[in-house]
Amino acid sequence: MFKKILGGLLAFGVLVLAIFLLIAWESSIEPVSASNSDAFSKEQINRGEVLAGLGNCETCHTTDPNKPLAGGRAMPTPFGTLYSTNITPDPKTGIGQWSEEAFARAMREGVARSGSHLFPAFPYTHFTKMSDDDISDLYAYIMSQPAIQAEPPENTLEFPFNIRLLLAGWKLLFFDEGRYETDTSKSDVWNRGAYIAEGAGHCSACHTPRNALGAEDAGKAWDGAIINNWYAPALNASNPTPSSWTETEAYEYLRNGGSRFHGVAVGSMADVVHDGLKQAPDNDLRSLAVWLSDLAQASDEQQASKRSANAIRAVHNTQNPSVMMDEGERLFTYACAACHYNEADSPSALRPDMALNSAISAPTPINLIRVTLNGVSLKEGLPEAMMPGFSQALSDRQITSLLTYLRATHTDQPAWENLEQHVRDQRPQTQAQ
Amino acid sequence: MATEFELNGQAVTVDIESDTPLLWALRDDLDLTGTKYGCGIGMCGACTVLVNGRAIRSCITPVEAVSGASITTIEGLHPEGNHPLQKAWVETQTPQCGYCQSGQIMQAAAMLKDFPDPTDDQINHAMGGNLCRCMAYVRIRKAIKMAAEEMNARDNTAQETGAAADE
Amino acid sequence: MSKFYRYLNQPEGANTKPNQDSDEGVRVSRRGFLIGAAGAGFTLAFFRAGLSFAQPEEVVNEGTFEPTIWYHIEPDGRIVVNIAEAEMGQHVGTALARIVADELEADWSMVELNHVDSDPKWGLMVTGGSWSVWENFTPLSQAGAAGRKALIEEGARLLDVRPDQCEARNSQVIAGDQSISYGAIVSRGDLTRTYTADDLKQMPIKPATQRRLIGRESRALDIPDKTDGASRYGLDAKVEGMVYGRPLIPPTRYGATINSIDDSDAKSVKGYQQTIVLDDPTDTVPGWAVVIADSFHAANKAAAKVKVDWAAGDTADVSEQDILDHGVNLIESLDKGSIMFPDDGVDEAFNSAADVFEQDYITHTVLHVQMEPVNALAYEKDGVWEIHTGNQWQSLIIPVLAKALGVKEDKVVMRTYMLGGGFGRRLNGDYAVPAALASQKLGKPVKLVFTREDDTRFDSPRSASYQRMRMAFDQNSKPTGMEHHATAGWPTEVMAPFFMPKGANDEPYDPFSIQGAAHWYSVGPHRVRAISNDLANATFRPGWLRSVGSGWVNFALESFMDEAARHAKKDPIEFRLELLKAEGKNAGEAPNSVGGASRQANVLRRVRELSGWGQDLPEDTGLGVATSYGQERNMPTWTACVARVHVNRDTGHVKLEKLTLVTDAGTVVHPDGARAQVEGAALWGASMALHEGTRYEKGEPVDRNLDTYTPMRIRDIPEMELEFVESTEVPVGLGEPATTVTGPAIANAIHSAIGVRIREIPITPTAVLNALQT
Ligand code: FES
Ligand code: FES
Repeated sequence: MFKKILGGLLAFGVLVLAIFLLIAWESSIEPVSASNSDAFSKEQINRGEVLAGLGNCETCHTTDPNKPLAGGRAMPTPFGTLYSTNITPDPKTGIGQWSEEAFARAMREGVARSGSHLFPAFPYTHFTKMSDDDISDLYAYIMSQPAIQAEPPENTLEFPFNIRLLLAGWKLLFFDEGRYETDTSKSDVWNRGAYIAEGAGHCSACHTPRNALGAEDAGKAWDGAIINNWYAPALNASNPTPSSWTETEAYEYLRNGGSRFHGVAVGSMADVVHDGLKQAPDNDLRSLAVWLSDLAQASDEQQASKRSANAIRAVHNTQNPSVMMDEGERLFTYACAACHYNEADSPSALRPDMALNSAISAPTPINLIRVTLNGVSLKEGLPEAMMPGFSQALSDRQITSLLTYLRATHTDQPAWENLEQHVRDQRPQTQAQ
Repeated sequence: MATEFELNGQAVTVDIESDTPLLWALRDDLDLTGTKYGCGIGMCGACTVLVNGRAIRSCITPVEAVSGASITTIEGLHPEGNHPLQKAWVETQTPQCGYCQSGQIMQAAAMLKDFPDPTDDQINHAMGGNLCRCMAYVRIRKAIKMAAEEMNARDNTAQETGAAADE
Repeated sequence: MSKFYRYLNQPEGANTKPNQDSDEGVRVSRRGFLIGAAGAGFTLAFFRAGLSFAQPEEVVNEGTFEPTIWYHIEPDGRIVVNIAEAEMGQHVGTALARIVADELEADWSMVELNHVDSDPKWGLMVTGGSWSVWENFTPLSQAGAAGRKALIEEGARLLDVRPDQCEARNSQVIAGDQSISYGAIVSRGDLTRTYTADDLKQMPIKPATQRRLIGRESRALDIPDKTDGASRYGLDAKVEGMVYGRPLIPPTRYGATINSIDDSDAKSVKGYQQTIVLDDPTDTVPGWAVVIADSFHAANKAAAKVKVDWAAGDTADVSEQDILDHGVNLIESLDKGSIMFPDDGVDEAFNSAADVFEQDYITHTVLHVQMEPVNALAYEKDGVWEIHTGNQWQSLIIPVLAKALGVKEDKVVMRTYMLGGGFGRRLNGDYAVPAALASQKLGKPVKLVFTREDDTRFDSPRSASYQRMRMAFDQNSKPTGMEHHATAGWPTEVMAPFFMPKGANDEPYDPFSIQGAAHWYSVGPHRVRAISNDLANATFRPGWLRSVGSGWVNFALESFMDEAARHAKKDPIEFRLELLKAEGKNAGEAPNSVGGASRQANVLRRVRELSGWGQDLPEDTGLGVATSYGQERNMPTWTACVARVHVNRDTGHVKLEKLTLVTDAGTVVHPDGARAQVEGAALWGASMALHEGTRYEKGEPVDRNLDTYTPMRIRDIPEMELEFVESTEVPVGLGEPATTVTGPAIANAIHSAIGVRIREIPITPTAVLNALQT
């Protein structure tokens, strides 16, 4: 009896495997000789360039700024390290042999020209929503970039995650192929924003937590997540900052890198704003802003400024009238307030106010720790302003006191746990960079 | 490693270790000693300079971080040392030993851009990082207000006459 | 540092008075004066005693004139006054120049200062000790008058009139409706003159009523350069071919030795050269090493990677508490210390007292934290050691430097720069020694830069103090006797023991560490016992810090007077006024303390009025008073202060809301400058009471930088109301007296706000909370 069951199970297993292999197997697409960039119109290439920016291709596919798109950037995942591929038109090491068909299949189905499955670190789960025209323009742009010969390092995934075939199963579970579908209940502008955000922009790839198998957790969409050791804050109504993303603020942030009610773009988000969105037309950014402020269930502008003002005022009221302060407050007074102090009614984006900043109300202290340690470079945030890092100036304990003080006085959020340990952990990592 | 930036309106290149604090690059490599060292950890403000017009503690800013930026030091605040703040500092006889004053003035210059008509509270916060060990604070406050008044009067005149305010 | 210098010559209570020729001051005396052509203009200078009457030109060209002060008139009329004094915020150069310029009848706008810090041709000009406006008033006036005389004579000749038809005013020689400017006289005439010491003595000086600059508002000439970065401080010194050094300071101030040094990790630092071990025959910096590099940044980075294994000295485990405990032991050993005040009948007074009131007071270690950390550039040039640094007392350290370098004293020259704050730290020039030793060892110029952390570890802090105060009362709660026992580390014992006078029991004492105890209250027989805390002296090098002992002595004295008043159920001001009777030893004497205790009573009454003493105040808000005579009985600056504080009972935070100060400093020479001095000094006192203070742990101060050592900032500044008593008495010092009253006034105000007594500074929120709970 027992044997029979076992045999049955085994047979079932084999059958499943066979079906799986059938589904999993993808044919290779014939190579083409490197396409001639003359084949594409200037307009098409330009449109493609904007799309490449919206998709932030260069950030992931570049290590050496002199070799754009040549790949090799390490992407640590819980399963091992992946390296981005060379997507220049180099025929040997890049995608020079890829036809537009092969390119479109990769973008929309996550399958390389050879037929092998691509890891979802490449966000085809989003790119699949892109329109035919956009894919074609993007292809035109990429194929007109200089070919660079460069072989990225081998991935270091652990067994069994290194078996690409298994990705077919992953796709079965987590991947819906298909174009963006217009939500007719919303405006055209909103739909344009949503199309960018969900498609080329793949915003949720960072802003949505992932499950154990590395897929975006649909149940927690836009709840905020840690990625590349940065916290990408929640974009929905769960974000605890005092004032939500109004259209104006969202646009300001995406266009210039900072908002007076939220803070400035640092880390990967600085790349998104200053590299990715640089070429994007104003209209696209406004559309994104409309979509985002809807997602965040933002209050109107007036309310937002009122809430910000109240938050700042609340902090001013708690401030100690005497200087015999605790360490955290003292450090803030001496080292931070000169740049971060604002009048309640007129916070300036150039003086990011700690009562409003998303790094302070975030569930994790990572962003705040990293910025405190390493500062904000001229390339990040608003281009006029920079902040020096305090890694050499402050001890772990002092940073802990400072951040504890900020968290306790500038937000209504619970204290961060194990803060000092987090600070300690961030130090070597961020210093190595 | 060579780092290029603009210093008091002139392009400069320094060929030093890129992690050298801007403070020492200015003082020892570019011979502008008006910017002072007091603590080296961003707690006293003696080393304050303007980077793209905003106050920064140069002792904790590595020189590579200002690559391409425009830096103003006390020596470059005004060609003749006659910025309204500098005039007010003399008028009120603020400096005692004077060591903190470059930093105080640079910090005040930055502050007045954000708070052109500063209240005591704004001064307390924006100048709270600048220690004056001689305790010349009473006069520092007075001088800031005096300079603000002059700058505002000048701006108003400029507006009335339709001329651009000369910086 | 006028008062300081006076003390070096005549400490309070000293049995022997040095000869004083007060007319001529101390340093510039019995010298002739000359005017000689130099470059385009004329130089006016004292020439050195002992030189023969050489041609003025030769003296000028050879630079063999007395360089303490001299001036130069340019053909364009500019008058450049050369200043060799340490400038640290007191605008000394301006004061000196104004004395000269007043007599010279110069146009003040044409007067410039030249701090002659680094031009070697002036030889030994800056080797002298501190000297003061007060002491050199006459010689400087004579120097100005000599110049005026020559200019008038020459101007008269050029105008073709008689000198007695001319007068000088505003850089012009005027005869009727004709006039000629000083510039024109210099370019067209010949001013060459010599005046003997006797000529100078006859030189007529203007009566005070004709002064045009002294006593009037003026602007300090050093200030413009302090607003545009042009002022040169020690840290700005530079010389061709110098390397940078950063010290590696051992764990104890004394007695440490280096077992081994491993710099293998430092070798990876670009620009690192080597680490040298200093061998110091003077024991100023025992167990030191210096990291040498191309840049300060490299020296700094390398220093973090050099591993030094030290054998620490004996004080490696000493804590603040050890020092204070030792202080208590010393106080309780009645045979210890020096009896500064020798009144008879103290014991009888206490034995027959109806009531004895006693309290102990503690002050903790205070760091200088002058804004510019100490530094020095040293090198040898043509057989002479050049030390470029900011320093307040060259003559104290030059013999040490000479001994350290194994050369004669005349082979060491100090070039004085602006001081980024002195406050007494730079009276002790010990930081120049490691620079010199490093330079000698390397054979290269070394610029030794102390980081802030190095500076605080090597500071000569104000020692912690422990004091016991006792007062005997009769049946009517009237004081009948008083005792004051004070112990602390003694700077003068450690650094300049030859300046210690002897007390009534023939034991020497550090006058700076007990000044202020010899108060003007008539309390019956009075005993003041000063005890050197030898554990403090062994653990660190105690320093002179703004007002020195008066800082702690007055904290105890004025807190105690307040407590004694309450003990006697009297209003604290009323109680003091009853004791401030200008009788007997407290009557005062000419010229310096005319009026005695009555002038102290006067400032006290005036501050009572100004501060609204006795008014109703909001809850947990209180006024506290303190008064002092500055620090020297024979040069008193009468000072009274009322502090208003608010105390938060939940957090223990004390907010200093207002300081009202009344000062009687005799004639106020420069009203605005006087205000600046009192503002700074009062805030210093408040800062030490509420914001500063550190502790020794394991032989070192625990606070090393401005993240944890926290002097007052702009937001802490209380409202301030200052008043000066109008007076024509002798002008006295203003830099320190206000420091001595704000601390006790604050402690007394806390008591009146919430009824608890804090007997320890700094006053921490924890101490307030604890006091509230008991
Ligand atoms: S030296 Fe930079 S803040 Fe103190
Ligand atoms: S003037 Fe001396 S520290 Fe400010």
